[in-house]
Amino acid sequence: MANLLWLQGGACSGNTMSFLNAEEPSACDLVTDFGINILWHPSLGVELGDNLQKLLRDCVSGAIALDIFVFEGTVVNAPNGTGEWNRFAGRPMKQWVKELSAAAGYTVAIGDCATWGGIPATAPNPSDSQGLQFLKRAQGGFLGAGYKSKAGLPVINVPGCPAHPDWISQIVVAVATGRGGDLALDDLQRPKTFFQSFTQTGCTRNMHFAYKVSATEFGQRKGCLFYDLGCRGPMTHSPCNRILWNRQSSKTRAGMPCMGCTEPEFPFFDLAPGTVFKTQTVMGVPKDLPKGVDKKGYIALTGAAKNAAPKWAEEDLFVV
Amino acid sequence: MHSDQEQKLREKIGRMLADGLQTQTEPFPENDTQFGQLLTQLRDIDAKDLKAKLVLSGFTNSPYGEDRMRCQECMYYLVHRKWCDLPELALPVEPDWWCRLWRI
Repeated sequence: MANLLWLQGGACSGNTMSFLNAEEPSACDLVTDFGINILWHPSLGVELGDNLQKLLRDCVSGAIALDIFVFEGTVVNAPNGTGEWNRFAGRPMKQWVKELSAAAGYTVAIGDCATWGGIPATAPNPSDSQGLQFLKRAQGGFLGAGYKSKAGLPVINVPGCPAHPDWISQIVVAVATGRGGDLALDDLQRPKTFFQSFTQTGCTRNMHFAYKVSATEFGQRKGCLFYDLGCRGPMTHSPCNRILWNRQSSKTRAGMPCMGCTEPEFPFFDLAPGTVFKTQTVMGVPKDLPKGVDKKGYIALTGAAKNAAPKWAEEDLFVV
Repeated sequence: MHSDQEQKLREKIGRMLADGLQTQTEPFPENDTQFGQLLTQLRDIDAKDLKAKLVLSGFTNSPYGEDRMRCQECMYYLVHRKWCDLPELALPVEPDWWCRLWRI
């Protein structure tokens, strides 16, 4: 039996909603099939007031073994570093986070806010928000770069806005069943099993990407969304087109650009007007090119691809 | 639009450019803000006003600039249809033409 505690900081509850929709395994499977004891969760916990404070204190003291500490949302430091803007169970949430992280076997950050600060930490960051171990791409965050949980791992980052339900539940199962040591993490402490490949990997529009045929309006049944509509699929690490959403689809399959929400810079360009759903260019060339491709190579590739593009690539591919 | 109608319109545009239609090739929109402003101006033009569209978008009937930019490599160009798929333009074109809404 592994004890799991889930708390929310500066959060919209989006990751909780995502988690409760998990299917493989489901939130119920975690309890019945994998022996995970959910000590408390904002949407599931029954303890209130003094009882909740006692539970949390027992986790901190070790009276209750805290095997997995899951945090959703940012660590709020405002005002003036006190964290008073986000009080929970009698004191600033940041104090609970500090003490619970020190007591936890594994600490898991779920969603962009908990991993890198996400939307709340976007300039001017009025809530003085941080991720658990990063602030955007800078390592450190609230717990500091040197933090390791009792199992010897840094914070396990499962980003996304929200994170896919299966990313959450599968990581939780891995650590609960003693396979936490098998998790390979990338430089941003994301499990490589999910975040080594790109959003573009498995995208049904890859043929249009290859032949440089652009979608010019949302929901079009042809064309790649990278060239004009700001899709970040070729630069974003996520399995969104391998582990589908609702077992059905993904943003790009449905004709909506990937916003790059698993990367620390999300939301990109600080949400400046005109930067969302529009490929940013300098003199007609995209500012952000597919990972590993330089400008010279990109231009050469475009010329060759356009010359080779078959006629069908210009027509609706997904017809009803 | 049928392909024969597109071809007639393509030839008409070609004649207008060959006859010396002066278009606004500069300034090239350096970033998306400027690009967006140009699109806004294009949307304000009567969709049937072909000449105004060509002038504002800076059409030329030959590759442009040191880099020899042309429709053939542009993101909005459909090679087989010989068509500019940018919704604000939506015009039949030739691969060696260019306009300042060029993007790669």
